[in-house]
Amino acid sequence: MTGTARLLRFLLRRERIGLPWWLLGATLLLLVQSTQSQSLYDTPEALADLRRTIGGNTAVIAMSGPTELLRTIGGEVVFEIFAFVAIVVALMAMFLVGRHTRGDEEAGRAELIRSARIGRRAPLAAALALAGLASLAAGVLVFAAAVGTGLPAGGSVLLGAAVTSAGVTFAALTAVAAQLFENVRAVYGAVGFTLGAAYALRAAGDAGNSALSWLSPIGWGQRTFPYAGDRWWPLLIPLAVTAALVMLAASLLERRDFGAGFVPSRPGRPVATRALGNAFGLAWRLQRTAAAGWVLGLGLLGLAYGSVADSIEQYVADNPEIAEFMPGGGQRILDAYLALTVALSALIAAAYGVTTVLRARAEENAGRAEPVLATRTSRLAWLAGHLSVTLAGTTLALVAIGAGTGLAYALTVSDMGEVPRLIGAALAYLPAVLLIAAVAVLTVGWLPRAAAALSWIAVGYCAVVALFADSFDLPEWAQRASPFEHTPEVPLETLTLVPLVVLALLAAAFAAVGYAGLRRRDIGV
Amino acid sequence: MPVKATTGPAISISALDKSFGPVKALDRLDLTVAAGEVHGFLGPNGSGKTTTIRILLGLLRADAGEVTMLGRDPWRDAVALHGRLAYVPGDVTLWPGITGGEVIDFLGRMRGGYDRRRRDRLLEMFDLDPAKKARAYSKGNRQKVALVAALASDAELLLLDEPTSGLDPLMESAFQQCVQQVRREGRTVLLSSHILAEVEALCDRVSIIRLGHRVETGTLSELRHLTRTSISVETVEPLTGLTALPGVHDAVLEDHHARFDVDTAQLGDVMRRLAPLGVRSLTSTPPTLEEMFLRHYGDEAATS
Repeated sequence: MTGTARLLRFLLRRERIGLPWWLLGATLLLLVQSTQSQSLYDTPEALADLRRTIGGNTAVIAMSGPTELLRTIGGEVVFEIFAFVAIVVALMAMFLVGRHTRGDEEAGRAELIRSARIGRRAPLAAALALAGLASLAAGVLVFAAAVGTGLPAGGSVLLGAAVTSAGVTFAALTAVAAQLFENVRAVYGAVGFTLGAAYALRAAGDAGNSALSWLSPIGWGQRTFPYAGDRWWPLLIPLAVTAALVMLAASLLERRDFGAGFVPSRPGRPVATRALGNAFGLAWRLQRTAAAGWVLGLGLLGLAYGSVADSIEQYVADNPEIAEFMPGGGQRILDAYLALTVALSALIAAAYGVTTVLRARAEENAGRAEPVLATRTSRLAWLAGHLSVTLAGTTLALVAIGAGTGLAYALTVSDMGEVPRLIGAALAYLPAVLLIAAVAVLTVGWLPRAAAALSWIAVGYCAVVALFADSFDLPEWAQRASPFEHTPEVPLETLTLVPLVVLALLAAAFAAVGYAGLRRRDIGV
Repeated sequence: MPVKATTGPAISISALDKSFGPVKALDRLDLTVAAGEVHGFLGPNGSGKTTTIRILLGLLRADAGEVTMLGRDPWRDAVALHGRLAYVPGDVTLWPGITGGEVIDFLGRMRGGYDRRRRDRLLEMFDLDPAKKARAYSKGNRQKVALVAALASDAELLLLDEPTSGLDPLMESAFQQCVQQVRREGRTVLLSSHILAEVEALCDRVSIIRLGHRVETGTLSELRHLTRTSISVETVEPLTGLTALPGVHDAVLEDHHARFDVDTAQLGDVMRRLAPLGVRSLTSTPPTLEEMFLRHYGDEAATS
């Protein structure tokens, strides 16, 4: 363990840029939820109505937490947001530990460190200490956000401790996975899967047999019932599990060689399939996993939105303030709700579209475009390969949004006609999504070094317009600059083709101009 | 191996300029590579070798000057030319999730033709496991992937940018065998390198580049002519007046023994002067590329 403290200072320095964002994210989640909930359900009657509406809605319970929390307003905040704060903190801990253990080992940096006067266990101990400190900081900040927004101090301390315990548990789990697997991607895959399972287990447990929730690290935190009973003893479980996992990781570390793991990396194909024979094959091979992830994720998001659609009218009747946030002033609550959720999901699809375009730039930056462009592959074919992923990927993502929302809603109202209707509504956003992706193509062609920053600014701008145009009082022209504002809000509004055709033509023009830039410039700058 | 007949040189570059912002990477560079030869492209890091090759690949655009490769313009006709060449980058980065075997097949297909049997033979020769994902390869193994992909192709021109910088001596010798085979087949190789023994073993002609400008070119023996031979001599008569002779440098004189360097052009005159003194023993060390190289860049270190 020699050198752990010095190593920890070094790790803190390496993380000084990224770590604050994770902490900020976790804090903001709680801050926004606490403020919003307290303004919406400001009377005991409103809270009682909510208990009644949600207590009978399995979908909302599965998404959020156990209904026991709904006894107080503080508990309501925990009910809605705890699982997500826990996921953010768990991911933060996973990346911190993974990066500084197996990640460094794989990249060869750990070899330099271990050759110095540093004990064998010091890198693991320092990474765990770093993740522990970060989780503690997250807990303290969540506590401060809760107290700062007027929630009782006692429950807030427990809430902070529960958040910290989730981070620490996943840090320890990552430490074990980092001993087992030889590359850091496999580590993230295994821990990410466990995190997903933890969420699913508590969903099943909260909605049905609560024994399942006790198998989930997220469930342990929720079942301390902050503000709604304040019991500390469930935190003994993560404490014990963490201690056991850390000991396991340390003993595995003693039993393996540097760079080796216990699960050997699987060999791949020694010979390429026919599909990997041109620029399109390569682009799809590189982007298929991400595409599947985004499409699946957006489908699940759609399912979640769709499953609560049926109770939205009752919910708005109980909480008339909500109507203000709805497009169309709340006249046709259901259609307004569906139009709003589809629009927000389409923004995420646009973000996905931008990542597919920026992948081309990342390939160039990493020097991997060079060997491809030194073959008979033209720059046009190389770019078109990646853009084919953009086109098909965003289309599939929008279909998944519509199908997910439509299917979940269709099942609750027993009308399968909702599925094609909502797929159509989601696909109306395709031209807008493609236009944002085409902005990314434009920047990759002409301003390659600023491409990532500029493209994300474009996405962020559209998100700000969509979410806060009214609260910020943005002028009309500033709102009109977002292509999403020109897309009819189906199913609330009727579908008109002209703006969609104009958006699509603009997208094609931007992409063509972007290609003209790529054709003229040096590669690898 | 059928090779398309190319009239004129395989590569012809004259007065080529390329700047990156304020940095002048190439400064009126000239380079001629004849069809069918193995041409050594020598220079230290940062002298412009990679930039030249990237311009030949049409990845970078020349600021000024004439560049012709296989009779065509590498920027305008990049795609057509790429069907006739194979390239090994100096710094090989591969796709982490794709195996070496897949990369070799992929690049082979994209180049428009490679020999599957030769691919498998090369894999054995270079002792490379094609089923490993690229993220698990060491630097040397990544280099081998790119080498096997290039050598398995039927390309008439090979552009190799420091292709052996990560290889061990065994693999280095396997590489030399392969290049000699390529030369026997009448194909052309541009081999950028700073491993001088490799260049001496493989290359017909050599160009030396410094600060983006060519400073020497020619066959190895032509270049040796411009250099100095080291002489160690013992004579019967005492040695006198040797230091005054033109072309003699760094002489260390004792009564009957001397060590000195002599410009290769003056070697005959010096020998005529030594003969009457009764030579007891004489060893001469022919100049190596390394000395020549060090002299060029040593000068630079001295003047800067």
